[in-house]
Amino acid sequence: MVIHSQRPGSGVETRGRRMLRVVLPVLATVAIVVPLAWMWQASRMPAAYSVMEMGYLDYGGHGQDSGHSHHSEAARSVTELVAEPARPADVRVDLVTRQEILKIGGRSIAGFTVNGTSPGPEIRVRQGQLIEVHLRNESVAAGVALHWHGLDVPNAMDGVAGVTQDAVPIGARFTYRFVADRAGSFWYHSHQVSNPQVAGGLLGSLVVLPPSGIAEQVDVAALAHTYGGVRTINGKAGDLRVPAEPGRRMRIRITNTDNGPMQVWTSRSFRLLAVDGTEVNRPTQVSDRAVTLTAGARADIETQVPADGTAVRVQLSKATAVIVGPQSAEVPVPPQPGDELDLLSYGSPATLGFEPAQAGRRFDYLIGRRPGFVKGRPGMWWSINGHLYPNVPMFVVREGDVALVHIENRSSEVHPMHLHGHHMVVLARNGVAATGSPWWVDSLNVAAKESYDVAFVADNPGIWMDHCHNLKHAADGMVAHLMYEGFDTPYRIAGPADNRPE
Amino acid sequence: MRNAYKVLAYIVAAEVAIQAMVMVWAIAGLVKWVDGGGVFDKSIMESGATPFTEVFGIIVHAINGTFVVPAIALVLLITSFFTKVRGAIKWAAIVFVLVVAQGQIGYLGHEFPFAGALHGLNALALFSAAFYTGRRIRTAASPVVEEQPEVQAATPV
Repeated sequence: MVIHSQRPGSGVETRGRRMLRVVLPVLATVAIVVPLAWMWQASRMPAAYSVMEMGYLDYGGHGQDSGHSHHSEAARSVTELVAEPARPADVRVDLVTRQEILKIGGRSIAGFTVNGTSPGPEIRVRQGQLIEVHLRNESVAAGVALHWHGLDVPNAMDGVAGVTQDAVPIGARFTYRFVADRAGSFWYHSHQVSNPQVAGGLLGSLVVLPPSGIAEQVDVAALAHTYGGVRTINGKAGDLRVPAEPGRRMRIRITNTDNGPMQVWTSRSFRLLAVDGTEVNRPTQVSDRAVTLTAGARADIETQVPADGTAVRVQLSKATAVIVGPQSAEVPVPPQPGDELDLLSYGSPATLGFEPAQAGRRFDYLIGRRPGFVKGRPGMWWSINGHLYPNVPMFVVREGDVALVHIENRSSEVHPMHLHGHHMVVLARNGVAATGSPWWVDSLNVAAKESYDVAFVADNPGIWMDHCHNLKHAADGMVAHLMYEGFDTPYRIAGPADNRPE
Repeated sequence: MRNAYKVLAYIVAAEVAIQAMVMVWAIAGLVKWVDGGGVFDKSIMESGATPFTEVFGIIVHAINGTFVVPAIALVLLITSFFTKVRGAIKWAAIVFVLVVAQGQIGYLGHEFPFAGALHGLNALALFSAAFYTGRRIRTAASPVVEEQPEVQAATPV
């Protein structure tokens, strides 16, 4: 029971006050609710949209010369960007994708297989060969698309659902054709609903050997993957044992297929022969250092089986290792080094093949985190150059350009940055210039508060993703694109094909 | 409206208690798991898997802290505009500001772990403020609720 006492004053004044008492709370509520509702509404995505319509164009300081629209007149479709259509394939690979229960380390985990296993078959080819992959999706309900991570394939073959193709539904087929133009360690994985599909094991190893082969006697591809919390190498929980005679030299091709960086170290000194499929120039022996392998990245480690009958351990994190040596030879787990190998100064300088100083485009890729709405959901979201998805930049280049990108992580978490279709060379980190071997990457570990200056040559036309390979972050909108002037894509995100590249 | 205001303020306080509980639950689970030989690193953290059940504590903490508590604090603030009680808006605003600060300090802890200590301290401030915000409201119904049992207890059988 509330008793209102009659306050002194005229009736008009009281009515005015009463009006204010009613109106002010309503106005205050409107002032809070309306902007939030507007932001929510603005963040919702249409039923189908093109990446060409997303965000804003960033010409990298180059004069804007193709009009205001992302879609230029008489643009070529990315579907034309294929590999030597008249040339017969040198290698044919048939891949069938299925959705099924995996048996990992005694546990049953819902996942995906390629040709009945996860990881799928290792594809091993020689440099220069034209590979033809016939993909058939047997039972992956959300559809699939295969991305050739680290190989700079023609754009139509890049396997990004909604950008370079439609997701392949159950019962349908897609043929990928590309030339393995560089030797090195790569991998393939789904780029349709990539976060759950990669986590569920829709992936495999792809090794390109140089025409003359390699010098090491033991050559092992080791895919590190975590299935439902179980750490594996090549799909098996625990350590991977590789039999080898004492004294044998080995190349362990390590791929980190998870969402976070992984440390790699060995029980004896090693050399880091290659990073992301590119050979390091004159790599030196390393001891008491760990190699940081970011999500999606590869490292080729060279070491030797000891002569004393013991084995050598290559640790893929604390949890798993590749153990190489005579049968049942033992080797204790080496302690995790406190320092990491700094690739900024590892190896010896060599010519890059282009001049970064003559770059015609300069882009910023500034990573932050702020509250807001993405796809209609409230939260703390990753921002690119201050914008939330889909207001992300579309970096525009022209074929032949040299582009510089300043990547700066202003957030408090690490981001493995992956540019499709190109290799970037690191020029500097936190403003300190690189002094070692040319450090070419396709997946770059950008730790919190770190900045990198990288350069790439625009030599592979099309429309390419430039995203965080922590695929959860990508699914949350940490995705920008790189487009070449004069190209357009007929594919749409969402839409009838339900393309969801992240 | 007073009832709604009071209940919302108490829910914020209860949520802070839940946040503290689930976090310590998760850490206890982690310690036990590591003790049994488990390795917890970025790959496991980002795999979306639940290597030990108590991981749900972290997930609940994140969802609560990012969405649920701010949403309740915002509704409390809006409710306060219509609650004709002196100081209601001020206290709802204090709760709201502490909630926003709590989130920001929490995220800051990813970079500067010491901010995590402040996150814990601010949680106590938020709990106290939310509890007081609810307690200081005398709803129309509350005197009746408080008085009735006393009357009954005093009545000889």
